[in-house]
Amino acid sequence: MTAPPAPGDRAALFQCMVLMRRFEEEVLRVARDHPYVGRQHLHIGHEATGAGVVSALSPDDLFHTNHRNHGYLIARGADPGRALAEIMGRKDGLNGGRGGPWHLCDRSAGFQSTSAMVGGSVGLAVGAGFGLKTQGSKAISVTHFGDGTLDEGICYEALNLASLLALPVLFLCENNAKEGQRPSSMLAAKVLHDVPDALQIRSLVVDGRDADAVAAAAADAVAHIRNGSGPVFLQADLERWPGSHQTKPEFPTGVTDLTLAWEEDRIEGPHAEWVRDHDGLRAYAKKLVADGTLSEDQVLEIDRDVLAAIDEARAFAEASPYPDPSGLLDNVFA
Amino acid sequence: MTRKTYAEALIDALVERAGEEKNFAIIGRGILGHGAQAHLVKPLMEKFGDRVTDPPTSEGAVASLGIGAAMAGTRIFAHFGTASFTMEAVNQIIHEAGVAHSMSGGQIKVPIVFHMFHGLRRGGSGQHSLSPQSMFANNPGLHLMMPTTPGDVKGMLRTALKSDTPTLFIDHAALLGTEGEVPDGPYEIPLGEAAIRREGDDVTIVATSRAVHWAEAAADQLAGDGIDAEVVDPRSVVPLDTETILKSIRKTGRLVCVEEGYQMCSIGSEIAALAAEQVFKSLKAPVARVARPPAPVPFSPPLEEAMMPGPGKIVAAVKTVMA
Repeated sequence: MTAPPAPGDRAALFQCMVLMRRFEEEVLRVARDHPYVGRQHLHIGHEATGAGVVSALSPDDLFHTNHRNHGYLIARGADPGRALAEIMGRKDGLNGGRGGPWHLCDRSAGFQSTSAMVGGSVGLAVGAGFGLKTQGSKAISVTHFGDGTLDEGICYEALNLASLLALPVLFLCENNAKEGQRPSSMLAAKVLHDVPDALQIRSLVVDGRDADAVAAAAADAVAHIRNGSGPVFLQADLERWPGSHQTKPEFPTGVTDLTLAWEEDRIEGPHAEWVRDHDGLRAYAKKLVADGTLSEDQVLEIDRDVLAAIDEARAFAEASPYPDPSGLLDNVFA
Repeated sequence: MTRKTYAEALIDALVERAGEEKNFAIIGRGILGHGAQAHLVKPLMEKFGDRVTDPPTSEGAVASLGIGAAMAGTRIFAHFGTASFTMEAVNQIIHEAGVAHSMSGGQIKVPIVFHMFHGLRRGGSGQHSLSPQSMFANNPGLHLMMPTTPGDVKGMLRTALKSDTPTLFIDHAALLGTEGEVPDGPYEIPLGEAAIRREGDDVTIVATSRAVHWAEAAADQLAGDGIDAEVVDPRSVVPLDTETILKSIRKTGRLVCVEEGYQMCSIGSEIAALAAEQVFKSLKAPVARVARPPAPVPFSPPLEEAMMPGPGKIVAAVKTVMA
């Protein structure tokens, strides 16, 4: 639907974030309205990180995602209708209904296999970096994962190998560890980046709620990797969205209302603190209006355009039939 | 044709592919193990040493490195040494390489060969003697080849290296020093094409890998007793040449399956089931399976010897089905 945001184009970065948010909200509605839609792992609250990193990439860079991947695919140009159709297990889904919500794949947008085996994509991304390096390509490999992924042994092997071979890999760690809940990571290390630091991998820490900061840090990391200086570990710190871990479709912070960017006294409810202080999308709308990049009307116009596109995507997905079981054995072997 | 060792033929295939395919990388050293043939890797290292990456002891990451690179368009030969070590990478092999093409709706291809040495190797005990073929064959999306002769290993490896499907290439270290006629220049032995190692009318022995040689030795012995055994070597387990196997059983009416793996859910179990499903009325006697006894592989030489489905056990099984 849209091209990924170009570096420095903050309005496009914002539009990308709105697209990510509205897509995930539609996934929740679809999951609410349709049976047999698989368990959702939504990217809500991660948009500033996702869009910021995507803005620093080139079209031929390869991406291995984990199961919380919808936002990245849509941001890099995968068709929202086909993505939604895949989430619904339909014939016109990106993977022909073979992958579902955890495994969205769009080779044309630079996405390789999406692993839902925790840590799986970290290893594969190191492999992609190895492949690109042996091919003499200037492209880089990117993988994103949550802090809990560092509990898995494959991450240590993969980070070690990437460092030893100086591979062109960006390790994007979306750190939404949360005090007071069952932690998503249980590490003996004091801070996450102790792990890459010990393996001589350059690490950067950024506020993952701040789109401009992420875009700048990602541009720095990508430049380092692309000039052959080896991998970078980018730790984006986030405050977990209250609906991040849900067993049935819910909107704990409500459907996003961008007017709250400039009408803060209307923010209320049990999760008002998250909306006010930690929602990177609301914060970016507020910032762009305050610095004159966008007017309030322009913010709302972007949102309306995105919502119209999402409506179209949903209509496309719902019109798509389920795949015919006669094709069950298609593509088992290449 | 040139007479050479299995090890030399294997290296020939790698050298030929490296010479013609720029996007081809090898991960792992010690491709020929650490025995008497180890030095025969030299022609590969001299010509294409820059294509060989020596990884740390990280089987999961080695598999990931190869699979990710293959997905990105580089053809990969990844060597794991003893097949037991692939257990450290089984998640990557089955859950990443095996499913990627199907799960992506055909978008992703994984042109990788996972190379390993299976089986009893003298002193391997319970952690260095694995024959994982039936475990891997149980998972769709992976081809599985098990060569037996120098002529076959060269042609089969070339097929595997040119395939877009991830392939488990399961060798046996005991075969490396065997000699045979090997065609000069590149050639391919197709997947799913069994070889009849010996023709016979009385009983069909289906054997894989090193067990083919044991089956041939048993057949020689049986000939002295007036029993004419046919030895069929499937060569690739996935896909399996069921046509050749079933045709032989229709002819002989008797089936003995031999392999180095354990009997439970084995390749022999699959072939016996195929016979029961498809040529039941041709069978003149119950099917027999010769495999490892169901115990972890012991270290002590006479105990390890007792694990082997060697010629003596095969002869005994054939006499049972001939009775």
